[in-house]
Amino acid sequence: MQRIRLLLAAAAIVLLGFLGFAQPSAAEGKLSHPAEECIKEIEAANSIDVDCQKAPNPLVPEVNEIIWGVVGFTVVFGFIWKMGLPSIKSGMNARTERIRSDLDAAEAQRTEASGILAEYQAQLTDARSQSTKIIEEARQAADEVKATLVAKAEADITELRNRATSDIEAAKVQAIADLRGEVASLAIGAAEQVVERNLDHDTNVALVESYINQVGAGR
Amino acid sequence: MLALEFPPLSHIVNWPGFFGTDGAWYEINKVVLIYAFAVVLTILVFALGNKKQLVPTGMQNVAEMAVEFVEDGIVMETMGKEGIKYTPYLLSLFFFIFFTNIFEIIPIIQMPASARIALPLFLALLSYVIYHGAGIKSHGFGYFKHALVPPGVPVALLILVIPIEFISKFLVQPFSHTVRLFANLLAGHILLVTFAVLTSGLFVPKWYAVFAPLPLIGVIFFTAFEVLVSFLQAYVFTLLTGVYINAAQSHEH
Repeated sequence: MQRIRLLLAAAAIVLLGFLGFAQPSAAEGKLSHPAEECIKEIEAANSIDVDCQKAPNPLVPEVNEIIWGVVGFTVVFGFIWKMGLPSIKSGMNARTERIRSDLDAAEAQRTEASGILAEYQAQLTDARSQSTKIIEEARQAADEVKATLVAKAEADITELRNRATSDIEAAKVQAIADLRGEVASLAIGAAEQVVERNLDHDTNVALVESYINQVGAGR
Repeated sequence: MLALEFPPLSHIVNWPGFFGTDGAWYEINKVVLIYAFAVVLTILVFALGNKKQLVPTGMQNVAEMAVEFVEDGIVMETMGKEGIKYTPYLLSLFFFIFFTNIFEIIPIIQMPASARIALPLFLALLSYVIYHGAGIKSHGFGYFKHALVPPGVPVALLILVIPIEFISKFLVQPFSHTVRLFANLLAGHILLVTFAVLTSGLFVPKWYAVFAPLPLIGVIFFTAFEVLVSFLQAYVFTLLTGVYINAAQSHEH
C-alpha cells in the first residue's frame, strides 16, 4: 500500500513536471537573456543599483525554485519524520524518564532524610525527658537523704541536749549535795571553834573567816 | 540544446524592499523579515527552556536539550566554568544563526539570511568587541602584549612576530569568522537553486528528461546537506566565539 502511494506520488510529480512546471521559454526552445539585458541596463545607468539586479518578487523566489525546493524539503522532512523522529522521541522520553527518576530518587532521599531527622529528634526529646527524669529522681533522692540526715541530726541533738540536761541536773544535784555536806561540816567546824573559844562577836566572825580561809587554802 | 535559464546571482540574494523608502536604512525586505522570524524563534527557545515544569515534556524537553547542548558542548568545552557568564550570549548567537540559516530550506522562504554578508559581519564584529573586551577586562592594557607577544619567542624575532600576530588576531580573525559563515551559506543557497533550476530545465517533454531524476536527487541530497550545514555553521561560529573569548581572557598561552 505504501509502495503504491510512493509510486503514485512519483508519477504525479513527473506529470506535473511535464504539464505544468516546464518553463515556457524552455518549452518553446527560446531563451531570454535577462542577464544580458540587465548588463545593458547597468551600463546605461552607470550604476549597479538598478532594479534588474534585484529579485523580481520581494518575498517569493521563482516558481521553479519553490516547486523543487518543496519537493526536496518534503522528501527530507518525510525521511527525518519517518527515520529520525522515533529515535528523537525515544531520546526525549529517555531524558524525561531520567529526570523523573532522578527527581523521584531525590524525593525518596529527602523523605528518608526527613524520617531520620524525625527519628533523631524523637531520640533527642526522649533523651531530654529521660535526663530530666533522672535529675528529678536524683533531686528527690537527695531531698530524702537530706531530710533523713536532718531528722537524724535533730534527733541526735535532742538526745545530746537531753543527756546534757540530765547530766547537768545530776551534777547540780550532786553539787548541791556536796555543798550541803560541805556547808554542814563547815558549820560544825566553825561551831566547834566558836564553842572552844567563847569570844565576842568580832572574834567569832574572825574565827569563822579564819576557819573558812584555812579550809579554802587547804583544798 | 538544453533550455536552462539560471537566474542572475543577485536575483537569489538581493531582495527588493516592500516597506519603506528604497535603499533607506529602515527599508524592510525579505532578509529583515527572516531576522525577525529568527529573533522570535530564539526567544521562543528561551521561553520554552525557562518553563518551570520539573519533569520536562514536549517542546520544553527539546528546548532544554538544545540549551544543554550549547552549554555543555560549547561553553564548558571552550571556557569551562569561567565561561558560564557568556552562556546567554553564545546561546542567543547559536540559535539566531541556526534559525537564519535553516530558512534556506523552508519552502517559499528559501533564503538563508546569512548568505548576505551583513549579518555574519555584524555578528563577527559584535563577537570581536566582546572577546577583545573580555581580554582587556582580564589583563588590562597588558592584553595587547598578551595577544601580540607569544611567550618564548626570541626578542630578535618580535619585529616579525608582532605584525603577524596583529594581522592574524585583529584583522584576519573577524574576516575569517565572517566569511566562513557567509560563504558556506551562500554556496549552499546557490547549490540548491542550481539543482532546482536544473531539475526544472530537464522536466520537459524531451528525450533528455530521463536525466531529470539526477538533479532532483541533488536537490534532495543538498536539502538534507544544508540542514547539516545550517546546524554545523551555527555551531562552528559559536564555538569559535567561545574559543576566541577563552584565548583573550586566559592567563596561559
